[in-house]
Amino acid sequence: MSLLRKDPIVGRWTIIATERARRPAAFVDPQSTGTDQKLCPYCQDLTSAGIYEFHGVKVSNSINPILDDSKPFERRGHGLYDVCHSYGSHEIVMETPEHIANMADLPEEQIKAVLQTYALRMRIHRQNPFIEYILAYKNYGVAAGSRNIGHSRSQIMAVPVLPMRVKDKTRGAGQYYDFHERCLFCDMVRQEIKNKERVVVENEHFVVITPFASRFPFETWILPKNHHCDFADGVTGYEEPLAAIMKDILLRFKIGLNDPAYNYMIQTSPVQNPSSFKDKYHWHIEVMPRLTRVAGFERGTGFYICPIPPEMSAAFLREVDIHART
Amino acid sequence: MPELRRDPIVGRWMIIDSDHTKSPLDFPKEDNTPTRQEICPFCPGREYQTPHEVDAVRPAGSLPDSSGWLVRTVPNKFPVLSSDGFLQKDGIGIYDQMNGIGAHEVMIECPDHEKGLTELTSEEMRAVISQYHSRFKQLSDDSRFKYVVIFKNFGSSAGATVEHTHSQIIALPMVPKTVLEELKGSEHYHQYRGRCVFCDMIAQEYQDKERIVVENSGFLAFCPYAPRYAFETWIIPKGHAGDFAQMGDSSQAHLAQILQDVLKKIKKVLGNPSYNYYLHTAPIGYADLACYHWHIEIIPKLTRSVGFEWGTGLHIVPTFPQDSARYLREA
Repeated sequence: MSLLRKDPIVGRWTIIATERARRPAAFVDPQSTGTDQKLCPYCQDLTSAGIYEFHGVKVSNSINPILDDSKPFERRGHGLYDVCHSYGSHEIVMETPEHIANMADLPEEQIKAVLQTYALRMRIHRQNPFIEYILAYKNYGVAAGSRNIGHSRSQIMAVPVLPMRVKDKTRGAGQYYDFHERCLFCDMVRQEIKNKERVVVENEHFVVITPFASRFPFETWILPKNHHCDFADGVTGYEEPLAAIMKDILLRFKIGLNDPAYNYMIQTSPVQNPSSFKDKYHWHIEVMPRLTRVAGFERGTGFYICPIPPEMSAAFLREVDIHART
Repeated sequence: MPELRRDPIVGRWMIIDSDHTKSPLDFPKEDNTPTRQEICPFCPGREYQTPHEVDAVRPAGSLPDSSGWLVRTVPNKFPVLSSDGFLQKDGIGIYDQMNGIGAHEVMIECPDHEKGLTELTSEEMRAVISQYHSRFKQLSDDSRFKYVVIFKNFGSSAGATVEHTHSQIIALPMVPKTVLEELKGSEHYHQYRGRCVFCDMIAQEYQDKERIVVENSGFLAFCPYAPRYAFETWIIPKGHAGDFAQMGDSSQAHLAQILQDVLKKIKKVLGNPSYNYYLHTAPIGYADLACYHWHIEIIPKLTRSVGFEWGTGLHIVPTFPQDSARYLREA
């Protein structure tokens, strides 16, 4: 019999297949990432100035921005509907001057510089009073929604509304805090470290787990052990151990799952009214390989069917030898 | 200029990428023509390959699990939830867990392997809707269940693993999250304005006209103002109706007609794309909600969702709903 598990943050249920669980090896899915450096727009563009440069990391405005802050922000109504123009900013973070596709292959110092860049850009965007949320994220591989360019990059979006998932997460964590007067994520970190079976790897400051109610096979979360609601402020001073653990988990994906497409998103607290999130929210990073497709049931219900228990995903990732090929 | 739009039911914002809009020809094409007939367990004559049928539309006097059926419902051979046993709830520290009690059935919509829903005659299409209705009512009577979802995955990129035309029905021991969000949002709207938000949407869609795809005497099909996907289309009863189970015979005929009509238009405009649709209705035991209105959401699978959308729930849609509606209307 399968199990139904509830995500304690947003209250979403997941069906975890048990008897019919697929073996971890069934998900190993090679993708082609080799591309011609001569065709790489990022390598061709090395000389042009970005809006910000830091230790080989270059930030530039997206050439296809879907957000734009050149006009003043204004909300209006259309009958019962609400609309505003797409205010905000959309930046591309070129993570290295070298033509390297996967962040897993960057040196730790370079990943550290990328994380510092995220924090710096977030600090700048949050000074804009119309910005409600800033998301730093990566699409790696075609199945994760990236174009197959072969040059490691990520994106930062600053938006003038609170996205649905952010509202869900902050509301759920807030309700838990109101009931227990403790941070839900701090409780989760304690329980996972004590319980061990869903821990993939940890260092002094961070732990990587496969969440109890995982939506996807090998879904992992990087949780800081120290409480802080905001990524930009919370990561300061901890960029090195975070870079080390990010490289570690991305290498486990690359070696164990044969270089799969993946996404990561930095989940941080909303920009406005920071004091209301200070005790209740806890920044973290969701990292997920894209190995399965979302079908009608998931779309229609928000209910996910995870074909492998997270304990099995964690055990598989724990056993990957990341030093074998590096 | 791109626009941010807010869904009036659940409050979800989305972005219309108006600077890089896509028309039907800009989406990659897929070949969803059926091919593998010789091994199909859903074809007539291979009824023994599926679990025993639980319901069917078949001529009077013909035996269960024999050929001759029009629509046939069988338990899923690989169910995600099991219908044997009782619900047991557990707490594990901060986490909650239950055993996987539920039901998971497959409705085979037509005996002919070569036909899809768009090729059925109007009687055959009516038989599909009547089977939806009868399975829905049957599963709603099980006191262990709180919600029944009917959904269809067509084409491999929409998650279909068997190409013979079929839909699925899953009964759940809780109300799923997206439905709870709609219930919460529509209740909030009802408290504030004393009206059903869906009825108000229908009224506004008639006023604006530009997002209407097609209508008949019972139903309206339109592209929602703040969609999550390009060419997303909803079918909704024109009169207030919270509960799918209470639909009468004439409404079933109207639903069969408009659903097939919309699917034909999608097939024609977008070149037989993969798609999903699913039914959203009131939870079991809440048939007479003044705030809620059942409907079907149809989503052609044209784009991949990227990290940004997963991380935020903020969808980026490359086609204005009025353009989607115009293409479909004119097909």
